[in-house]
Amino acid sequence: MPTEVIMPKVDMDMTEGTIVTWHVAEGEAVEKGQPLFDIETAKAAMEVEAPADGLFHHPVAEGTVVPIGQPVAWLYAAGEEVGPPPAVAAPAAAAAPAEPALAGAEVSAPSEPMRAPEPPMSRPAPVADRPRATPAARSLARQGGISLDRIPGTGPSGRVQAGDVRAWLDSAASPSPTLPAVSYETGALAVHRSRGGTGTPVLLIHGFASDSTSWVPLEAHLKHRPLIRIDLPSHGKSPRLRIDSFADLAAEIRRAFDGLGVEKVDLIGHSLGGALALSLADTRPRSIASLTLIAPAGLGPQINGDALTGICRATRVESLKPWLGALVADDSLISDAYARAAMASRNDPAQRAAQARLADVVFPDGVQSFDLKAALDRLDMPTRMIWGRQDAILPWKHALRAPGQVALHFFDGVGHMPQFECAEEVGKLLRAAL
Amino acid sequence: MNAMDTPEARELSYAEAIREAMDIALESDPRVVLMGEDIGVYGGAFQVTGDLVHKYGTDRVMDTPISELGGAGVAVGAALTGLRPIFEFQFSDFAALAMEQIVNQAAKLRYMLGGAVSVPLVMRFPAGSGTGAAAQHSQSIEAWLAHVPGLKVVQPSTPEDAKGLLLAALEDPDPVMIFEHKILYKSKGLVPAGHYTTPIGKAAIRRAGTDLTIVATSIMVHKALAAAETLAAEGIEAEVIDLRTVRPMDRETVLASVRKTGRLLCVYEGVKTLGVGAEVSAMVAESDAFDFLDAPIVRLGGAECPIPYNPDLEKAVVPQVPGILDAARALAKGRI
Repeated sequence: MPTEVIMPKVDMDMTEGTIVTWHVAEGEAVEKGQPLFDIETAKAAMEVEAPADGLFHHPVAEGTVVPIGQPVAWLYAAGEEVGPPPAVAAPAAAAAPAEPALAGAEVSAPSEPMRAPEPPMSRPAPVADRPRATPAARSLARQGGISLDRIPGTGPSGRVQAGDVRAWLDSAASPSPTLPAVSYETGALAVHRSRGGTGTPVLLIHGFASDSTSWVPLEAHLKHRPLIRIDLPSHGKSPRLRIDSFADLAAEIRRAFDGLGVEKVDLIGHSLGGALALSLADTRPRSIASLTLIAPAGLGPQINGDALTGICRATRVESLKPWLGALVADDSLISDAYARAAMASRNDPAQRAAQARLADVVFPDGVQSFDLKAALDRLDMPTRMIWGRQDAILPWKHALRAPGQVALHFFDGVGHMPQFECAEEVGKLLRAAL
Repeated sequence: MNAMDTPEARELSYAEAIREAMDIALESDPRVVLMGEDIGVYGGAFQVTGDLVHKYGTDRVMDTPISELGGAGVAVGAALTGLRPIFEFQFSDFAALAMEQIVNQAAKLRYMLGGAVSVPLVMRFPAGSGTGAAAQHSQSIEAWLAHVPGLKVVQPSTPEDAKGLLLAALEDPDPVMIFEHKILYKSKGLVPAGHYTTPIGKAAIRRAGTDLTIVATSIMVHKALAAAETLAAEGIEAEVIDLRTVRPMDRETVLASVRKTGRLLCVYEGVKTLGVGAEVSAMVAESDAFDFLDAPIVRLGGAECPIPYNPDLEKAVVPQVPGILDAARALAKGRI
């Protein structure tokens, strides 16, 4: 009998999880403890290890939502015959919700001579190649020209109902009265690599409304290593992608990371990029040698929503410059020339609109809608956090939620961008560590 | 026609309304005759014909021998040769004895003789459970007859419709089977005076609602309405459709309601499997209204067993109000 690999319960409220990625292919040999697959729950993304040695067979499709305790794949011993997926009894945890007592009408004579016994559940797992949805939901989605894949279903077993589609259409149609319409593209995120440097590459993830060029001041201190920078969706040279949640955004970064073909990186992220770096470290812990979070998002609800809105809305140097000033403690650092250059890089209205929409999704109403404290607590690679005490975008005190093993560095007289405002000090710190 | 709006409407029982319809028909149309076992001086097994024999005599109100096949055969022959017979079964269950005449003769003769004849026959079937009459006197077999092309099958749920559908049946050139629920005979309602008809093939919306559609037949209409009142107090607005005619089914009324509510619950006393609700469900699933369904269709029907004699079991094997409530709540709240 092969060993079943089940959907684990990784948090208290979890009832089901989504298979995001398999790390091994059908038929491959795996060892106990080897990373086998990634799951996503309503709250977290996790890597799951192989429960035993064996040959990997019968995985459910990526993207499938599986109740906890249900098998998602099987591990066969060497030489064991691989037939169709073994039948399993439905585990109690995954039992279907009790059928409502529809009527006394179903009561039969005591011996029930005429009713055939219900066959036991014999399929290994509900494998859906398309989302569960009612006809009405499908019809509405068709009319709206949208895919059901991304609409969270609130019906039984996650079935998408008409109300879910309407809510989704409503929220998509009017995320906020001030947001312009956004046209989206497809494609992979832009990745920039430096020439030169040896050893473990350093991966840099920039913050909201910025791009890879923002790392230039810090890069002078990291030249001894190969450098890789990723542009966020709808930022820099990356395509404008439709992002509907922080989890979506994190998944895009994870996909880009998986495509890099690197075994290990030292990871640095700033602000929203810090939150994404933390999320990536949580789901790819074995690939992250160390983590540096510079004024990261995701550790508390507060964020300067006015600054986000102001930067997104600015179409002229005059309206952008004050908000750039809010990013630093010493606003004399923001010269007219700097502001002009920044505005020039933000001259694409479609990109600004996409960024505004992204801000509305991850920071709705000027609030950080996601909390990564649990992920931070789980980390076991060397991790440091760097913050300016005059940060006017994200409060530096969010750093105090970090567990003891995270090194904290606070710089006086520095705002939201220590890597720019005190690049020398931050560089020295990183050079010593990396 | 709505009895409430008619000044001359009076409160009558379901049985009285049927008797009044037969009285009007006997009075106004000399071709109308009543036939059946013990419908004369005894007044009928459920006292529906009552004293009509005294008013019209034994040539118009005829007791037939205790042979359903024989009686039905006479009725079919009478209809073929120009009369307008109304044939009463003592219990609908006894239709089994007369199936040859109903299914192979009455339903088919128009077709087999190229339309040269028709069989303007009305048959009345006291039906349903709840009287403690057990397995052979309590069935709801409307689906048996509704399966036969050539027959029309109606199930009035109110005194007004019991009278109107009987008078409509008499005007129909083809056989019409009327299933009267025995428990309803004593139920009261406003009934317009004089002659009127309730259209065959037309359902009635008994209660408008937006959250789910309950399609019910016969006595289940009343149970569904009782459930709908409770549901309304909980904020669930059920639309209750009284199907009234099983064949030909009122497609448009049902589909329009499902398009509106997106949720369908069928409630019927006949055996659930292959019953009236199965046809309603399939009709919706095959139609454009499918695209409006926002939950699986739910059916409540009779259990897979004969009607038991034990009163508790007799109640348990057909849909009751608490079961309708549970199903409707689950449907409306998206739990199914």
